[in-house]
Amino acid sequence: MEYKKILKNIQEKVRIINRPLRFMELCGTHSEAIAKHGIKNILPENIKLITGPGCPVCVTDQGEIDVVAGLALSGIPIACYGDATNIPGSLGSLENARQKGAQIFIVYDVAEALELSRKIPNLVFWGIGFETTTVMTAWGIQQGLTVFSSHKLFPPAMEALLENNKIRINGFINPGHVSAIIGMKAYEKFKIPQVVAGFSAEDVLLAIEMLLEQIITGEKKVENEYISLVKKTGNKKAQKIISEVFEIRNASWRGLGEIKNSGLKIRKKYQNIDAEFIHKELIAKIKKEIKPRKSACRCGEVLQGLIESKQCPLFGKVCTPDNPQGACMVSREGSCNINFRFTE
Amino acid sequence: MKNKIIELEMGGGGKKSEELIGNIRKILSVKGKWKNTKDDGAIYDLGRDAKFCVSTGCNKLVFTTDAFIVDPLFFSGGDIGKIAICGTLNDLSVMGAKPIGLSLSIVIEEGFLESDLEKIINSIQNVSKITGVPIVTGDTKVTEKGKIDKIEITTSGVGLASKIISNDGAKVGDDIIVSGDLGEHAVALLAKRFNYQTKIKSDCQPLLQEIQAVSKYLTSCKDPTRGGLSAVLNEMAQKSKTKFVLDEKTLPFKKETMAISELLGIDFFSFPSEGRFVATVAKKNSKKVIEILKKYNKSARIVGEVQNGKEVWLKTKIGAVKKIEVPRGKLIPRIC
Amino acid sequence: MCLAIPGKIIKIKNQLAEVDFQGVKKEINISIVDVKVGDYVMVHAGFAIEKMGKDNVREIETYLLSS
Repeated sequence: MEYKKILKNIQEKVRIINRPLRFMELCGTHSEAIAKHGIKNILPENIKLITGPGCPVCVTDQGEIDVVAGLALSGIPIACYGDATNIPGSLGSLENARQKGAQIFIVYDVAEALELSRKIPNLVFWGIGFETTTVMTAWGIQQGLTVFSSHKLFPPAMEALLENNKIRINGFINPGHVSAIIGMKAYEKFKIPQVVAGFSAEDVLLAIEMLLEQIITGEKKVENEYISLVKKTGNKKAQKIISEVFEIRNASWRGLGEIKNSGLKIRKKYQNIDAEFIHKELIAKIKKEIKPRKSACRCGEVLQGLIESKQCPLFGKVCTPDNPQGACMVSREGSCNINFRFTE
Repeated sequence: MKNKIIELEMGGGGKKSEELIGNIRKILSVKGKWKNTKDDGAIYDLGRDAKFCVSTGCNKLVFTTDAFIVDPLFFSGGDIGKIAICGTLNDLSVMGAKPIGLSLSIVIEEGFLESDLEKIINSIQNVSKITGVPIVTGDTKVTEKGKIDKIEITTSGVGLASKIISNDGAKVGDDIIVSGDLGEHAVALLAKRFNYQTKIKSDCQPLLQEIQAVSKYLTSCKDPTRGGLSAVLNEMAQKSKTKFVLDEKTLPFKKETMAISELLGIDFFSFPSEGRFVATVAKKNSKKVIEILKKYNKSARIVGEVQNGKEVWLKTKIGAVKKIEVPRGKLIPRIC
Repeated sequence: MCLAIPGKIIKIKNQLAEVDFQGVKKEINISIVDVKVGDYVMVHAGFAIEKMGKDNVREIETYLLSS
């Protein structure tokens, strides 16, 4: 089997390097693949894999959830992906809002939201996610779907992580499907070993081997392990749709704070279906009434790989997948959720 | 009953109620040893079975009940009626009991199509006929529109058993077996709800015969309904105070099941089945048991082993182990 | 962060294609990819996000069972 060979190469390279290394997998689906295949428990001790901020649910700011929950509780029907219903905000989650009588519809894709919007007047689709998911929302907007955008761009978050000196990372495993959309160029400015990877056990192991090789040769470049899918230039058609519909703005990330040029706002020409514009008075009112909830949750530090889940005082005690206090415990891709589920 | 709808009055206890119940009764016609009188309950004369009980050693009465809500009501391979009767029959069967009679309570939302109700009752009758287990008593109520979602069915059942198969009897060294591929009930429902086309049908079926064929060899047994394989195995492991180890190479899931699991981002370990069982068997008997079970379902197989320790673990194909968690919350599709 | 799975294009009608995922079929939006019947695509939330390279078709076919 191929993985045995890769694993042997990894062990050999780790021996040559002979010091502890920290690699961050940026994408939540990688985190889940790593947990699913049990990759952490077959890697040499010197390699530590850290979960990064690549789970859109986890990085959705409390303020954004509060606004959407507030809209829902004010009688505006909300459609969203299943992932988004349990993120805790200061007014509770959308699931809590649904229990209080708000109309919340879980959809699997934008086409479903679009269909729903023809039956349910004033329906707002809450768009969350990175570049991959943004394409679908952009398409929906072009078809006339009303959207509240919490979409985010991935490379600015990587930049923010690298600017934080406290994070000692020796290499990034870059997201596979985001890269299928944006390509490889956006990563070139980061002076750190990076490998864009696929999601099978072999893919992840091979990416780790490639990172180790870069460390041995002293290189700091972006490589592509996911050649079956990711093109250097990305998907041009997708990029075109995104930029036709969205413009770049600053955005708040849970745990990382405001990151410059990391968010996507719906362009003015679509403002008649931009929920932020349509409901601006209501949103202003909701924002005024929100009292940010104070919590001992250390989600932010977990997201940046500064601490491990178990170092958070809430982890596994008050904060569990059944009763998540922070977003990292909500999503199946969240590092706290994964740590809770997969550790002994 | 064609094209007509259920009216609130039909649950009111008057003439219309009588008509509705009469129509339901007409369909449910399996005769048993029960005596139906004009009273509120059915009577089972234990005296008559005394000889049978002595000769077979059946000296335990097992009683179970279950409520059913399903969305969608009709799906490939079954409907809410079939699940409602199979569910209770199977709960008795996996405990090693021979079901002798069932009750059926239906709450219907006003406006429900009478023809749909007829289909549902016919499904119940079919299973009742195949298994020879009669519906001996029942109740029907109609609620105002909007008070419930279409229809809710509760079935209770009694069975006789000589030896109870519990879910806490797994012994270290036992093999873990399944009676067939799992999760296909979930696949049928999810496919219908999210508009996928697949040949997979719900696995909903009574387990009576296959369990009886192997029951003497089973050290523990359970049907993986709500919460799927991960929930039942965790329960069995915990109650038996043992560790269950599965092998990823022999997982009992079809490629379509795995595909729909990946597509919707819902773990197939939590996919419910409605006509399968999971059991533990002493190693020396497991080959024989699988041989017998294969007559009913070719995909019956050994999926793992009971060991010293706790929890449920999976040996992955890259040689690592990972914990199989108890599923949490609702099965919500996700995109990330 | 983005769940996606590969499937094979069976039929194309304008912007939509019937895609087969190991025996499970669904209509998928193909407006951002250039594809023909028989191609493999990676699908995320109802959209084909990219065509998959030919060299990997055999790998793709075993993807689900191995992942």
